[in-house]
Amino acid sequence: MSVIETSGLTMSYGARRGIQDVSLQIEAGEIFGFLGPNGAGKSTTIRILMGLLRASAGRACIFGMDCWKSGALIRRDVGYVAGDVRLYPWLTLNRGLKILSQIHGRSLQSEGRQLAERFRLEPDLSVRKMSRGNRQKVALVLALATRPWLLILDEPTSGLDPLIQDTLMVCLRDLAAEGRTILFSSHTLSEVESLCDRIAMIRGGRIVEYDSLTSLKARAPRRIQILLSPDQVPPAEWPDGVRVLWQPQQSGGQPSTQRDLLSIPPGLLSQTCLLEVTGQSSEFLKWIAGQEFADVTIGAPSLDILFRGCYADDEDENRDAPAGDGTAIDTSAQSGAVT
Amino acid sequence: MRGLLSKIVAEVLWPVLWFCLGLFVIMGLLTALLPKVLGNIHEVFDNMPLVKPLITALLGVDPGNQISAQLSQAFLWTHPTLLTLLWAHELMYCSRMPAGEIDRGTADFLLCQPVTRVQIFLAESIGWLVSGAVILSCGCAGHLLASGFVHPEMRLPFRSALLVLGNLAAVYLAVGGLAFLLSACSDRRGRAVGIVFAVLLLSFLLNFLAQFQEWAKSISWLSIMEYYRPAIVIQSGLFPTSDVQTLLGLAAFSWTTALVVFHRRSICTV
Repeated sequence: MSVIETSGLTMSYGARRGIQDVSLQIEAGEIFGFLGPNGAGKSTTIRILMGLLRASAGRACIFGMDCWKSGALIRRDVGYVAGDVRLYPWLTLNRGLKILSQIHGRSLQSEGRQLAERFRLEPDLSVRKMSRGNRQKVALVLALATRPWLLILDEPTSGLDPLIQDTLMVCLRDLAAEGRTILFSSHTLSEVESLCDRIAMIRGGRIVEYDSLTSLKARAPRRIQILLSPDQVPPAEWPDGVRVLWQPQQSGGQPSTQRDLLSIPPGLLSQTCLLEVTGQSSEFLKWIAGQEFADVTIGAPSLDILFRGCYADDEDENRDAPAGDGTAIDTSAQSGAVT
Repeated sequence: MRGLLSKIVAEVLWPVLWFCLGLFVIMGLLTALLPKVLGNIHEVFDNMPLVKPLITALLGVDPGNQISAQLSQAFLWTHPTLLTLLWAHELMYCSRMPAGEIDRGTADFLLCQPVTRVQIFLAESIGWLVSGAVILSCGCAGHLLASGFVHPEMRLPFRSALLVLGNLAAVYLAVGGLAFLLSACSDRRGRAVGIVFAVLLLSFLLNFLAQFQEWAKSISWLSIMEYYRPAIVIQSGLFPTSDVQTLLGLAAFSWTTALVVFHRRSICTV
């Protein structure tokens, strides 16, 4: 039995877009990444799972129980941190632990104290006197202190400093090692890449990618940056399977997104080629070995590129003409392939 | 349920204590001072003709040109300060959940705990009843304490005070039920409070207009104040059964509807 199972989950906010036909299956002990830009439907899906919203169609189950009908029973074993954490101004960590202990019918003080030390949190400071990061920590500690079998975290690292983010990641890995399940919603790709086993990407309320991180990475393109010698011209032809995002001293073609060129120092735009290679790159490596470039940088398969490909339409408005003298090809054409 | 009650106590303890103190002091002062002030009321009626209909609207009976000892005590129980304090507490308390929780975003935290919405609503209702009982008792205590300093003829018999208190408690329940209902239907606390406040204001206005206008008299049954007439209760010495039944009916209907709405609705804090 899956820990989380949704099928055909649909919900709309009147005229506003909600989610449509969201189907997910998350197994025990899994750290599942839930990715999407702002307003894509991540929080709506999570809020249906938590029994806050009632889906207009489809099913949402946790531990095999319906999320709307058996919400209270389900939530005994679920810890949740909302995307935009808001707590009572009078709440202190100790007071929160006391109240949760009474609700859960067992003492959470000892676990809470340990977590407070780990997250460097003052247990008797009220929320009204706390910074945003500390409020986030209180929410995390209260969610973790119950030692839930399912942890649903909606952008949990927002407001946390990098050291505490690391502490949280270690905590989450420990929990997963104990067989606990984590649904990790974020739009920070690096944390999802470093933490999750499988991911789902949501866009416009629909799931557009749903696979293991390994499979996605196998499909994800690598960025290759070639630095030409000062008098060198780019090759007239590139090997098959190579997409040219940018190359100097040519005309025509479509402008790329400005972001593609951000990795190139402005002074080197006129002697840099930016390429993209998907899948096996051995043929390309053989070809490149026979060339005489000044320098070649080959990046790892990047989820970031795949993610941006998925959301290219949302980013059309950011598209801009390149600043240098050269040609670039629009990466948004790729979005159809991955969706 | 204990955890929910702890949360409610942490949230409303100080405001409730302040309301208790406020009502204790106000009722004490009014009990001691009103007989003296109202002794010369005919001069006020002569100089300010609008005051009489206002007092008539508040008391529910025409006081004539002189206010008797009994009527002066009845005026105490309909004094705007008393009603304002009591209703301010209700509006503050009953609009906290769910409208207030949704408004400030804390509903996510509360509703994602392993408790049902029915349990949350019941806990809130227990807090509402207990805090109301404590505040009304403090008001009554202030009145009884100050009665000791009033001339015996001006004192309200204890039995009459209890009868009026029962009627006032029914008003408390009706207003609270209404506030719960509007809170359950709303995502904005200000909106819920505003509507209940408007209903109470209209109740007063309707009661006032009913003194002059026939059309207002014909619909005055819509006003909550129509069912709270301490002067008549004190004069007759009888418990206002039908008024209390009407108020309790309104309270039960509003409270039950609020529970059903809260139980079934989606909660959206974003």
